[in-house]
Amino acid sequence: MRRLFLAVSTLALLAAGCRSAPQPTPEPNQAPAPEAPATPAADPEAFRDQPPTAGPSPELVLPRFEQAVLDNGLTVLVSTRKELPLVYVGTAFAAGSASDPQGKWGLADLTYKTMLEGAAGKDTLALDQAFQNLGVSPSLGVSSDGAILGVRVLQRNTEAALALLTQVVRQPTFAPKDFERRQKLQLAELVRALGSPGFLAQRTFLDVVFGAAHPYGHPTNGLPETVGSVTVRDVKAFYEKNVGPRTTALVMTGDITLEQAVALAKKSFGDWKSKAVLPPVPPAPPTPARGQVVFVPKAGLDQTIVIMGRPGVAAGHGDESALDLATTVFGGFFGSRLNMNLREDKGYSYGANSGSDARLGVGPLTASSSVRADVTGAAVTEFVNELKGLRERPITPRELEPAREGLIRAFPGSFESVEGLGASASELFLRRRPLDEYARTVAGLEKATPAEVQRVAEAYLSPDAMQIVLVGDPEVIQQQVGPLGLGKLVAREPAKTPAPKP
Amino acid sequence: MKAFIAATALALGLPAFAQQHEAKPPRPGREALTIPYEKYALPNGLEVLLARDPKLPVVAVNVWYHVGAYDEQPGRTGFAHLFEHMMFQGSKHVPDDVHIALLEQLGGTDLNGTTNFDRTNYFETVPSNQLATALWLESDRMGFLLDALDEKKLRTQQEVVKNERRQGVETRPYGIAQEKFWQTLFPAPHPYHGKVIGSMADLDAATVEDVKAFFRKWYAPANATLAVVGDFEPQQARALIEKYFATLPSNPKPTRPEVAPVKLTEEKLVRHDEKIGTLPLVIMGWHTPPYLSEGDAIADVLGNVLGTGKSSRLYQRLVVDKGLAQSVSASQQSLGAQSVFTVEAVARPGVSSDALVKELDAVLEEMRRTGPTPAEINQARTRFETQMLAGLQSVGGFGGKADTLQSYNHHQGDPGFLVRDLERYDAVTPERVRDFARDMLKPTERVVLHAVPSPTSPSPAPSKEKP
Repeated sequence: MRRLFLAVSTLALLAAGCRSAPQPTPEPNQAPAPEAPATPAADPEAFRDQPPTAGPSPELVLPRFEQAVLDNGLTVLVSTRKELPLVYVGTAFAAGSASDPQGKWGLADLTYKTMLEGAAGKDTLALDQAFQNLGVSPSLGVSSDGAILGVRVLQRNTEAALALLTQVVRQPTFAPKDFERRQKLQLAELVRALGSPGFLAQRTFLDVVFGAAHPYGHPTNGLPETVGSVTVRDVKAFYEKNVGPRTTALVMTGDITLEQAVALAKKSFGDWKSKAVLPPVPPAPPTPARGQVVFVPKAGLDQTIVIMGRPGVAAGHGDESALDLATTVFGGFFGSRLNMNLREDKGYSYGANSGSDARLGVGPLTASSSVRADVTGAAVTEFVNELKGLRERPITPRELEPAREGLIRAFPGSFESVEGLGASASELFLRRRPLDEYARTVAGLEKATPAEVQRVAEAYLSPDAMQIVLVGDPEVIQQQVGPLGLGKLVAREPAKTPAPKP
Repeated sequence: MKAFIAATALALGLPAFAQQHEAKPPRPGREALTIPYEKYALPNGLEVLLARDPKLPVVAVNVWYHVGAYDEQPGRTGFAHLFEHMMFQGSKHVPDDVHIALLEQLGGTDLNGTTNFDRTNYFETVPSNQLATALWLESDRMGFLLDALDEKKLRTQQEVVKNERRQGVETRPYGIAQEKFWQTLFPAPHPYHGKVIGSMADLDAATVEDVKAFFRKWYAPANATLAVVGDFEPQQARALIEKYFATLPSNPKPTRPEVAPVKLTEEKLVRHDEKIGTLPLVIMGWHTPPYLSEGDAIADVLGNVLGTGKSSRLYQRLVVDKGLAQSVSASQQSLGAQSVFTVEAVARPGVSSDALVKELDAVLEEMRRTGPTPAEINQARTRFETQMLAGLQSVGGFGGKADTLQSYNHHQGDPGFLVRDLERYDAVTPERVRDFARDMLKPTERVVLHAVPSPTSPSPAPSKEKP
């Protein structure tokens, strides 16, 4: 869970900044000025030769999350920070796209979006106007494990924002007209997404790794066929079944205390009743050996998207910290093996990365990049070689210890904003983790032994069990990837819905 | 460009002196929007901005070089950005594999370098005990980049940047269309012609000599501003800055090119055959006043009224009422030399881009006639105030405190301009927005681009869309 609310996207293809290929360490001292003194000992710039020695590390400051539960089961999550008069007011809902029924993929997403189309007698425009008056638009994020809906407002607008959110959560209108408009938007959005090579890759990857029948095996926003089949009755039924005090957390962070939040929560949600209960934890999918290489043909595409992956771990799994360390060394940092090879040594890509997305259930473990089309075969070979390399060239202390230090020391910098705190609190609720999860994560990273990290690297990142998905020019892929012997090449046409797996 | 005159006056080799700035007091209720800071210059001309914020044990180091794609030579488009990549490739005392890796390994966050038309910046947020390391890294590439430069590094980064371009332009929906749009708005040799990332041909043509000349001219301490924001001890920070930056030799501050503003005298229509995107797109654009100058804030408010939220004018008409558009947006893209106001809409399947233009024009015409309501203006103001305050939550990164100080310093010579920036929005009235729409967004002085997916494109059509 180290990545907090910025959970690794399976397609986080963009790398940061820039770096260079290996080269010997610098030459001996030399003063920068043209008239350097003749005696090297007198070089006043010699201090530049070595990195400065850092002082003692500051105490690790992690945010404090507090929680209360109302009589009706509603969770109230708070993290207080008072430097600026800002408050994040949000709700986390425990049912996400993993709760979509078969054939109705996209239902969760469509339900939450339709909630924002009208509530408590306000139509779409009036509801939006009310948020606009507070200087905000509500943000909604739906993922496989749930949904997060919230706004960041000036402290003086806290109660007004909560009043609006309460209406959206408790009294959605679900008017047929609003639903149909939203559904049409969703369908057109899918048409737009199907033009994006990244979306095609992600969608195909989920199907190949989890299988269409698995709760994590489809995109959150569904597919044209499945979204088209959803009715307003489905949406109402999803809401009735899944949204209620026992499946919802009110999340407030920033310039607010737990006492204040609980008082507000009682007023807004104290009398809320519903039969909704938490959805089941998605089962762990099997991890079969790779038998094929699946590709989505996009004729003439200048780059090929490469995703390799498999099921990883669930949040809280005993291997989570060691796996985070292993994937960081492999592809999680800019200076990782995969990125240094593909980008800085070969110049094949703008960036390559890898990470484990530990969800409520077992989430995906991925390595991905977008590479120049004409080096597709060579790049896939490098991916496989780097995966094999984890066994052949075990992770050294020089790789592991900086990764460990880097991950741990980056925590305080990740908790600067009230909306970031709100998203992190929401993730704790959606993944059903304890309030001290971040301290546990840090402890786990501190304790993972080199032997454990090497064990999980070999166990989870073996190339034989990594499924491979490519999006690119079909001729290039046939010619360059076919001969690599990685499995039978199987084309998936982008417009078609993947058939359910046997 | 009075910003640069002010900055130059500070950089004339005077002994380091500090200006304790008493920013103009904000109006009641906005006290949190001031950033107390100190500004001084080293004898070599490097400007320094210091702002303490001990909320978390982290410190942001942020360097702006006052050079962007605007300052490139013809035939060398994309050079400022390509050069930015070279700044991560190692320098005399920092081995090639070290810059980013070292920052990652000590827990750095918000770590990157970016180039736009007007400037180039480099930033990282590090644990507070690592300030010296961040300064060491930044100072070494400012002073000693060329000692470690070679042909192979340049060749590799040319390939990396070409991949970045393919990822962001050639294989991204509407990437090429947007480039054509900018090229039409700013005909060559205007320095805003095309994309900051440049053309493939120009990227290939760059030489090591170009890199050297660019560094010597633009990357001098006198053409840079260092901001340190966060949990630091002021005296110690000043001593460290002195140690790492004061002996770096400098060239005089370079003069930026004088470029005459572009003015359109007719409507320019571009029809683009879209290969990646699957739905028709329309972009309209007008030249508008530069960032922070008269009219710029009005344009921001207008963009908000037209395109932000479901109840905005464009969304309401094109998406909610008529169901013709999939998405709409309107915004002022504020730039140093000349800004651009754009209105964009993506069509629903089966809707033509011409139908969108007709509806967009109807909304714009209404705005030119009657202007926005006072309520719409107030909503926009509250939104901007909330956003500005929210930006101050982070010490570094995109839009954080260090970036805010730098941006105002770069464009206005006044790092503490935030309160006055908000006053620009306070002064916006419905009449001024209406007049702006009428006078600046004329239908006869604009570029309109249609990106229409080609029927032969491999992209899919919806299989079962409901009528």
